[in-house]
Amino acid sequence: MNSYKFDWAVIDKYLPELLKGLWITLEVSLVGMAIALIFGLLLAMGRLSPLRLTRSVANGITQVFRSIPLFVMLFWVYYGLSLKFHVLFTEFQAGALALGITGGAYMAEVFRGGLLAVDPGQREAAMAMGISKSTTFFHVIFPQALRVVVPPSVNVYVGLLKGATIVSVIGVSDMIYVAQYVSLQTFTPFELYSVAGIVFVALTVSISGFAWMLERRLGRGRSE
Amino acid sequence: MNSAQPFFDFTSVWSSMPILLKGFAIAMACATVAIIIAILLGLIVALMRLSRVKILRWIAFIYTQFFRGIPLYVLIIWVYFGLAIAAGVNLPAIPAGIITLALLNSGYLSETFRSGILAVNKGQIEAGMALGLSRRNVMLHIVLPQAFRVIIPPLGNQYVDAIKDTAILSIIGVPELMRESKALANLYYRPFEFYTFAGLLYLFAVLVVSRGVSVLEKKLSAHSAQTTVIIDVLN
Repeated sequence: MNSYKFDWAVIDKYLPELLKGLWITLEVSLVGMAIALIFGLLLAMGRLSPLRLTRSVANGITQVFRSIPLFVMLFWVYYGLSLKFHVLFTEFQAGALALGITGGAYMAEVFRGGLLAVDPGQREAAMAMGISKSTTFFHVIFPQALRVVVPPSVNVYVGLLKGATIVSVIGVSDMIYVAQYVSLQTFTPFELYSVAGIVFVALTVSISGFAWMLERRLGRGRSE
Repeated sequence: MNSAQPFFDFTSVWSSMPILLKGFAIAMACATVAIIIAILLGLIVALMRLSRVKILRWIAFIYTQFFRGIPLYVLIIWVYFGLAIAAGVNLPAIPAGIITLALLNSGYLSETFRSGILAVNKGQIEAGMALGLSRRNVMLHIVLPQAFRVIIPPLGNQYVDAIKDTAILSIIGVPELMRESKALANLYYRPFEFYTFAGLLYLFAVLVVSRGVSVLEKKLSAHSAQTTVIIDVLN
């Protein structure tokens, strides 16, 4: 065996910094999710548009952004876009934007499924009653679609939360970044990464469990 | 910035093509080897989850939850910079990356296999048992071949995810597409062009695999529809 000395006390010592890093991970993922929700809804509406051109553009964007790895997207936004168009993103903004673009493509799929799940009779009924198109969408279709959309959205969020761990590579001082930084000084990478891993597993498993519960609950309401 | 240079300039990308394509090939090879290992591991874990022994079910459940819950990036630095250093193992980057990818994907695939196995009609198992086949033979020759058909689409998706995930292997120094793109983007100071091209290559791989999977799915479902017809006729 080698001379690696385990020192779990290091976790205790740097706990505040690690938690602060975790909070930043949560922030990036939440801002990314907010962007993904808006972007995804727009894409889904585009994909269901009566205009053929809008449909194919929205379909194409969804396919492309779903296929490009988040990691590549992050570098493309942070180094590529910013240099090419002279927009200076902070690391946090670039991270949230990359998460938002990738997540938006996944959310487009989720929203599309949700909107299609609403009985067409609902739209016809609203039209027959003379309700305008936008009112129909926001007050009749969307609220019903939401029920189908919520559980898979939570799963998309779990994906973004897991993806958000890579933002440390562009220098966002998240939990992994803190762990890396501290382990350089203390030489305890095993302890620090183990704790980071356990924290993320606990987080994602509990959020996924929550999504599963939601799915059953909302599904039950639907069948009544 | 030199304003005399063209806005988009892909000449450096073009001249670096051999390096980039080699990186792409390494990425595809890593993803393919990882998914093959993950299929074997996932199958074992799925069978454990369906086992009659409670402790095996529990171990498999925890395994699945863990590898489905952990982010790849965290797992990879834990394996490569944490575990390997603590255990004093000198793990080369490519095997480390493949093992990590395989473990992660096996967590997802075990769930896929489990639902595929459960989707097989119970009557099939009962019929096999009634014919005096052993449990093992029923599983190997009756349940698994039928389950395999159901799981082709999710298996294809998992392969696509594995291909995309190889980009993260650049962190530990695997000389795959993203690693080479990063180095070249810095060298030529053309990040937009190099990352755009890398993105297009991943897109290409994903489209080809998705297309292949849907062709395979159609072929197999046509076959199974035929079988159903024959069975109906026999009935």
